[in-house]
Amino acid sequence: MRFSIYRYNPDVDAKPYMQDFDVELHEEDHMLLDALLRIKELDDTLSLRKSCREGVCGSDAMNINGKNGLACITKLADLEEPIVLRPMPGLPVIRDLIVDMTQFFEHYNSVKPYLINHDPLPETERLQSPEDRAKLDGMYECILCGACTTSCPSFWWNPDKFVGPSGLMQANRFIMDSRDQATEERLENLEDPYRLYRCHNIMNCVEVCPKKLNPNAAIANIKDLKIARAKDKKPAKKIFGIKVG
Amino acid sequence: MLIELLTDKYPGMRFWLTQRLTALVMAVYLVLVILLFVIVQPKDFDAWRAFVAPIWFKLATILFFASVSTHAWLGVRDVLRDYVFHQGLRAYLQIVVDVLLVFYFVWLSFILWNI
Repeated sequence: MRFSIYRYNPDVDAKPYMQDFDVELHEEDHMLLDALLRIKELDDTLSLRKSCREGVCGSDAMNINGKNGLACITKLADLEEPIVLRPMPGLPVIRDLIVDMTQFFEHYNSVKPYLINHDPLPETERLQSPEDRAKLDGMYECILCGACTTSCPSFWWNPDKFVGPSGLMQANRFIMDSRDQATEERLENLEDPYRLYRCHNIMNCVEVCPKKLNPNAAIANIKDLKIARAKDKKPAKKIFGIKVG
Repeated sequence: MLIELLTDKYPGMRFWLTQRLTALVMAVYLVLVILLFVIVQPKDFDAWRAFVAPIWFKLATILFFASVSTHAWLGVRDVLRDYVFHQGLRAYLQIVVDVLLVFYFVWLSFILWNI
């Protein structure tokens, strides 16, 4: 099977280049990750991240024939040859298919992806009704692979300012959590013109998510919630600088 | 109050919401005008004049074009923020577009008021 793989070792290479491989696959090699490990037998300098090899850890996200995905759950039979593999776009390359995810996780941290609850700690768990728990479905499954955020042009243009689909979905995951008490702060935290509103609904995130999640719906939900909560507030005094009351 | 969202306390939401509200005005206007066209079917110049002459039609059209201009202003503003990183060039392009939009709006008002 033929491959064309992005290679870059900053210690040796002046600039990145594409390297072709023709690799003999074994009968048991079904997934792209299997093929990559065969290639590593030919050339052990090829660098990539991997761990669980079953689509749970999110380590082996990469750009596969132009579309982000996880190598471990991408079937070789579904790919056209030569299979072109590149690191995820929009993040600095550390080496070959490995990118520096620091920016991605900084955005993740910025939405405070943990439960904020000021009530005294209960003896057992903080309970939720099955209905409230169901509101987290489609969000808690996110494995933070970065496939969505790095296929989002808004993130490419403003990587330091736009939180990105993954981070925004995590924000919504905690906004929707019935046990969380920081909804207002979380919504205010996304009020900057760049953090949330750079999303223009082009839905690359939805198309590439290897877990079939919908970050776009989560982003829309945050905006809807902002509007719903504003309806209960006192009337404004100034609109675009003009006094109204 | 929903209007709260248009204040400078909401620097992101105010523009996003304004773009949606102007889109709503444009959609309502277009549907109504198309329906009116189908019902009235103005066939000659005099019929056209009579069709656009009422003051309510002129006011609705002015509101429609104000919405188009605002919508376009925000759309271009978004595109420039996404793609143009040189602050001077961004400001220059924004001013060019703003002047054009104001010009079109004044021109249209002038045309409408001379019917």
